[in-house]
Amino acid sequence: MSERNLSAPLLPREDARDAALFFVVSALCFLAALSGLIARSAYQAADSWTTQVAGQVTIRVRGDDAALSMAVDLIGKTPGVTSARALSREEEEALLKPWLGSASLPADMPLPKLVAAEVVSGGNDVATVIAQHLADAKLDAKVDDHLVWSSDVKRATDSAGLVALAAVGLLGATAIAVIAFATHAALLARREIVEVLHLSGARDRFISSLFENRFLMLGVQAGTVGALTAFGLAAFILFTLKQSSDHIWLLPQLSLSLADGLILGLTPLVAGVAAMVATRITVMRSLKEMV
Amino acid sequence: MSERPFPLPAHLADDAVRLDRVSLSYGPGADVLSDVSLSLKPGSMTFLTGPSGAGKSSLLKLAYLSLRPNTGRVSLFGVDTSRQSRTGLTALRRRIGVVFQEFRLLDHLTAYENAALPLRVAGDNEKRYREDVVELLRWVGLGDRLNAKPPTLSGGEKQRVAIARAVVGKPDLIIADEPTGNVDEEMGERLIRLFKELNRRLSTTLLIATHDMALVRSSTADVLRLADGMVSRVRVDEDENSPAEFRI
Repeated sequence: MSERNLSAPLLPREDARDAALFFVVSALCFLAALSGLIARSAYQAADSWTTQVAGQVTIRVRGDDAALSMAVDLIGKTPGVTSARALSREEEEALLKPWLGSASLPADMPLPKLVAAEVVSGGNDVATVIAQHLADAKLDAKVDDHLVWSSDVKRATDSAGLVALAAVGLLGATAIAVIAFATHAALLARREIVEVLHLSGARDRFISSLFENRFLMLGVQAGTVGALTAFGLAAFILFTLKQSSDHIWLLPQLSLSLADGLILGLTPLVAGVAAMVATRITVMRSLKEMV
Repeated sequence: MSERPFPLPAHLADDAVRLDRVSLSYGPGADVLSDVSLSLKPGSMTFLTGPSGAGKSSLLKLAYLSLRPNTGRVSLFGVDTSRQSRTGLTALRRRIGVVFQEFRLLDHLTAYENAALPLRVAGDNEKRYREDVVELLRWVGLGDRLNAKPPTLSGGEKQRVAIARAVVGKPDLIIADEPTGNVDEEMGERLIRLFKELNRRLSTTLLIATHDMALVRSSTADVLRLADGMVSRVRVDEDENSPAEFRI
């Protein structure tokens, strides 16, 4: 209807309370989007890490080079193993670098002999078969399929994800309550306008739509600001951390994936719809108090 | 979409406004109106007089559906308002034009936009009504104040905008609370002439609350007097101090 009219909007364009509400909703959307991004990134990192380690088995072999060579040969022939090779001393030193620093290790310092085997995905019992083959060959070896580590990591990231989701839910509910409160305040401030419209023959839905459109736009705009700010901050923090350290391999990768796009896109949409629904309920309830 | 009105008995269906044994009080205090009954025939013109604080505005509020009575029944155009849904009440409101005592113009809208408000909320296309609204505002002497907002208008100008808003939709019933209270005598007569024209040409029912006895005496309209919570039909003689009074 308003498109056909050249006249000014029936609600005053600006109100000081709108600016304050915009800030509050932006802040809530920022926190919600940040929680969502963190949860998504944590899941992605855990998934990426567990997928990576799920295809690997590490075998520590005690004995001389001949035992190591025999172990590599046996492991390579085990069904389900796609490749097996002994790690070089340089590779083992690189693995120890996070714990022992970058200084060169003494040449005579003994290091465990490690074999890295790539196994087919889903071959959960390959590690058991390898261990059996090595035992049959009387080799002293210990097989590690990283299951304990990966399940711990997954459990931790699952918990973090649930906390983040709970935070998103709580922030969403808070945003709706704040908007409902602000709508009620806006209605009280514009009660004269509402009454005149009501007595001039405006339907409840017509009056409600004036407020709904106002708060829908406010929710969408505030949600956009909040979501983009959250993405910017998350990207900045990760970029800064990555610049400051080489060894944050568990840190989530932040890239504009479909999931990130969904979070960024949904935040303004959800904020707008939540604002509109909260407004409609509040306005219709207030109008019911009039004759 | 308006709903089918609740049918009243045939002998009541003709009244544009009918109050049956209506009482009204604000909160726990004494009744502002007590057991009031009155009826206005369609196309009639009626003045409502009475001392300040007698409850004239409250009675008008009942008639333009701003208040519900504590007891009794208010019927408009043969429709019992107490049995109407909100949609039905909205349909009734669109048949009523109201001139509020305190004008109740929207400060952020221009005089033109205020006057056009009932048409706008009813969903009319501005291109269709714009010329009519402008013409009406010119007629009430506001042709050069179309774009002025209420805070910049004088009391009399606000009153004329409020009257324009009440009559712009050519309603079946116009309820006016002191419509000439803030204008000079000449403009007052002009506005009353506008009401009379609507009454004569469109059979618009008029209910006008006023203190202006000169205005009342200049008209042949019916006169109701509200005092002590009761309504009486009176005949106003030339001598305003001796009105003949009849209970209705």
